[in-house]
Amino acid sequence: MTGATTDGQSTSLGYMRRTPGGVLLTLLTLIAAATWFFPIYWAVMTSLRSDSDTVTDFGLIPANPTLEGYIFDIVHSELPIWYLNSTITSVGVTVAVVFMSACTGFAISQLRFPGRMLLWWTILASFMVPVTALIVNHFIIMANVKLLNTHLGIILPMLISPVTVIVYKQFFDGLPKEFREAAVMDGATELQVFLRVFLPMNWGVTTALAIITFIGSWNAFLWPFLVSQDEKMMTVTVGITAVQDAFGVAFGRVLAGAVLASLPVALAYLLFQRRVTQAIALSAGIKG
Amino acid sequence: MASVELSQITKTFGAHDVIRGIDLTVDDGSFCALLGPSGCGKSTLLRMIAGLETVSGGTVRIGGADVTQAEPKSRGVAMVFQSYALYPHLTVADNIAFSLSLAGTSKAVRAEKVAKVASMLRLGELLDRRPAQLSGGQRQRVAIGRALVRDPKVFLFDEPLSNLDALLRVQMRLELAKLHSDLGSTMVYVTHDQVEAMTLADKIVVLDKGAISQVGTPWELYNRPANRFVAGFIGSPAMNFLRGTARMAAGGIAVTLQGGVTLTLPARATQDFVGDRPVELGIRPEHVSVASGTGAQLSGRSAVVEYLGNTSYVYVDTPQGSVIAEAAGARGLQSGSPVGLSLNLSEAHLFDESGRVLAAASV
Ligand SMILES: Nc1ncnc2c1ncn2[C@@H]1O[C@H](COP(=O)(O)OP(=O)(O)OP(=O)(O)O)[C@@H](O)[C@H]1O
Ligand SMILES: [Mg+2]
Repeated sequence: MTGATTDGQSTSLGYMRRTPGGVLLTLLTLIAAATWFFPIYWAVMTSLRSDSDTVTDFGLIPANPTLEGYIFDIVHSELPIWYLNSTITSVGVTVAVVFMSACTGFAISQLRFPGRMLLWWTILASFMVPVTALIVNHFIIMANVKLLNTHLGIILPMLISPVTVIVYKQFFDGLPKEFREAAVMDGATELQVFLRVFLPMNWGVTTALAIITFIGSWNAFLWPFLVSQDEKMMTVTVGITAVQDAFGVAFGRVLAGAVLASLPVALAYLLFQRRVTQAIALSAGIKG
Repeated sequence: MASVELSQITKTFGAHDVIRGIDLTVDDGSFCALLGPSGCGKSTLLRMIAGLETVSGGTVRIGGADVTQAEPKSRGVAMVFQSYALYPHLTVADNIAFSLSLAGTSKAVRAEKVAKVASMLRLGELLDRRPAQLSGGQRQRVAIGRALVRDPKVFLFDEPLSNLDALLRVQMRLELAKLHSDLGSTMVYVTHDQVEAMTLADKIVVLDKGAISQVGTPWELYNRPANRFVAGFIGSPAMNFLRGTARMAAGGIAVTLQGGVTLTLPARATQDFVGDRPVELGIRPEHVSVASGTGAQLSGRSAVVEYLGNTSYVYVDTPQGSVIAEAAGARGLQSGSPVGLSLNLSEAHLFDESGRVLAAASV
């Protein structure tokens, strides 16, 4: 398609490139992107400087780049263990939240059992209560059941996730009832309808929810901070604060820790982003 | 293969009676169409046969066995949905084989059965595609294949062709007819398209507001409608209805229409009645022709002339009411011109006040 009117996207881009307004808009976008990106860039650059350089060298590129900060973090702090803790808790939370939410969403949306609406309203209501409001109770409960400083203690209160249940329920509600009926006619049990039709039909939703849940639990700070007082049980986010506390002002190390801490999240998003778009494209194509 | 017997089937949704006591037997190997206007309960009835909807009262028997309370999968029926409901995440082959894989059939047997179905429905090249990559007609065939592979005793179709364009619908109609003659299975087919019902079915059930209005062969429904509803529902353009009063006369039944015109229907089997009786005279457009002079029994003005190629229909406003006439040869007709109409009264039907047929056309 080379005609100017047939290809809307290229004409509108060409249009923007030519006019002063378009140029201005592009500039503004670039400035906004740079503003957003600069702190990240600066953090990465600072993490590559030695401790003394961090307060003297303000060039865009470190004059004497060094991995000192990283090496220190990895060798002298508990960072590898914190990584492991973060991985265990985040993966645990993600798997449990997604699976339980999918089950709950399916049950509320598709099954008819007494108390269904009560359950649904309870979930909706719990959505209104901020988790921070419950955090003291959570702490006391975890202390009473002796789960402080354990992975399970970090994971359990983070499983409260009404939003994912709501998303699943709405999604299953929106599926035409013929899919379920076709499966029932084909001889599927409720569990098979769920596992072999409803869940595989919406990997896009599941992947998206899993990524969001993973990022959220990897980045979680307040609860892990409260529940893991033992340095060996800390997650990365909690641990980095410990580095700062333990070794005074050492920007290189702190930022190296921060970069390392955010790496999995950034990677996860970059890796899975393609699958998310893929899955969404797939499910959109089906409806057409 | 099996027959389907419904006795005294009812269905209520809350306070709403959707199906009101239906008795119906679909013989083994027959093709039965459930026909009726939108909302008359066709899908509900079909879904009760399938087991997707509970039955409020009455019994469903398939192949002689009472399946009223049975699970859908144990009824030996397969259903093709209007929306096809193909599983979007599975390939065509996996869609067809889904029921087999749920039943734990071995891979080899599965592949063999899928291949057989695919060759029957000409799906061979599409087996690795996903539903999103198929055309409407292909999806329809996959949906039929999914039903076919289960080797059901009874096939249930809920308006399977209504999402296809006119040309494809005709083609699929022929394929369905062929499938039925090849398999010889019992088929129950829901449609609101009378042409589909007339061409495919050997037995048509006309439903009206949840009750059976008439059951019969396509010929019977068209030529011997049992009531005004069926008479008006079957046939396009619809039958003409003229109000009047009937009384027994020497040569048959004399019907005096509004405006004082009296027509005498030839003698025919009817219960005798005394005195005047309000009736509606029904006559199909093909039994009304344009006439002039003494041959004209009614006269009026043509309102619209529809030219269809093989024939024309003239919509005529007469003092007795609006009448549609088939006017094959009347080339020069223009709207607004005076027209005389001649009625072939041996093909006319009389309906009493309740809509029941009083006197049918002569054989
Ligand atoms: N689950 C339900 N709850 C309440 N009413 C229902 C339900 N399903 C169907 N009905 C009602 O039952 C009646 C018959 O519905 P049904 O779907 O059987 O009609 P239909 O003959 O198939 O119509 P169409 O040709 O439009 O598909 C309708 O009035 C409908 O509103
Ligand atoms: Mg319907």
